[in-house]
Amino acid sequence: MQNENALIFKIQNKDEAALSELYDNYSPALYGVIIRMCKDEQHAQNLLQDTFMTIWNKAHQYNPEKGKFYTWAYRIAKNKTLNFLRKRKNLIQSEDLSVHTNKEDNITIEPDYLQLNGCLKQLDLHHQKAIELVYFKGLTHREAHKEMDVPLGTFKSYIKQALKKLQFSYDKTIVWLLIFIEIIK
Amino acid sequence: MNKAYIIEHGILEQYLLGELTADEQIQVDRVLNLDADLKHEFDILETNFEKMAFENAINPPKEVKANLMQNIKTSESKIIRLQKTSPFKTYLYIASGIAACFLIGWFWMFAQLNISEKKLQLVEEQNQLLLKDIEGLTNNLEYTSKYFEIVNSPDTEQYILSGNDLAPNSKVVSYVNHKSKSVVINTKELPKLDAEHDYQMWADVDGVMIDMGVINKETDLLAMNYIDKAESLNITIEPAGGNDHPTVSRLVTNVYL
Repeated sequence: MQNENALIFKIQNKDEAALSELYDNYSPALYGVIIRMCKDEQHAQNLLQDTFMTIWNKAHQYNPEKGKFYTWAYRIAKNKTLNFLRKRKNLIQSEDLSVHTNKEDNITIEPDYLQLNGCLKQLDLHHQKAIELVYFKGLTHREAHKEMDVPLGTFKSYIKQALKKLQFSYDKTIVWLLIFIEIIK
Repeated sequence: MNKAYIIEHGILEQYLLGELTADEQIQVDRVLNLDADLKHEFDILETNFEKMAFENAINPPKEVKANLMQNIKTSESKIIRLQKTSPFKTYLYIASGIAACFLIGWFWMFAQLNISEKKLQLVEEQNQLLLKDIEGLTNNLEYTSKYFEIVNSPDTEQYILSGNDLAPNSKVVSYVNHKSKSVVINTKELPKLDAEHDYQMWADVDGVMIDMGVINKETDLLAMNYIDKAESLNITIEPAGGNDHPTVSRLVTNVYL
């Protein structure tokens, strides 16, 4: 946390080395989100670069008291990607309404590397899906509950239960980690 | 919006994901600031959210970073260039320009001062020369006026002393004023003598030669001593500086009054 804030402070003072370090730390996590949302490597790379340009130029707007750096960066990345998708959708629709429909856009085969990993895999499928929609697809709760075809209240409880389970598995991981460290000692 | 509502409606999750409107966001901010428990819950949510993201991280190709670093360099260099050309350097240029002007002006004025001083000195010298000239002229004028007065007076009588055999071509004009008792002579046509001899003038009073003075070689017109009851005026050649008694053998000219 301290280290992270120090990095941001340096970036606010236009320290290129600090940006390089921050990029190394956070770009894979952000790229994971962007590419799952837009499903296009070339565009995802442009959007990632664009996101870090914004971080570089607007670092002074980040307030550590309001939340973690990743949350702030995630919001930037998500907004950029959603804007891009909206523009592309408008473009396709205005070009040829008969060929492309929303349904067709949604039916895409996802490559293996886009599959979700980690503790998420231990969740029930509907919990996994709910998390994926809002966290990795950039859908709002209102969009996502329609996508899953469940009432908004139900969807919100899916998210809550999913997060609780995740919390439990993260805690368990930490316990295992602590035991592991003890053994090494 | 209160804590119960926020928890019940899953607002924290939406807040985290940036789904709320600006207005709702401000409200949640306010509640989080006041409520440490809720803030703690949000911190956990954030931490888990970040862990999940890291678990699902995908490494982007290296070119993205290279491009990014290149881009910030160009955008940054633009900014720096703007800052560098802005106020400070401009003021520096202006200041150095003014300083240079002052320096050149100072040198110029210094040179002018030197020239002026030299000119002033020259003028002073000339002035002094002119003053001397004026002094000389005034003296001359006084001198000339004095003689003119004597020569031009109706009481003045003119006598011509023509040279004898010793000085056949010589001629002296004498102006005698018995009223003002003055004698002025013009020696312009008197032959020049060597350095060891002078002309001396004498008045004959009852057969005795009385000295009227040595004739100055430098001027043509000069005053001599007036001698009462003089019967004749005589000029002799004497040793330089004059003699007590006339050398009659060397008399060059004389005239009877």
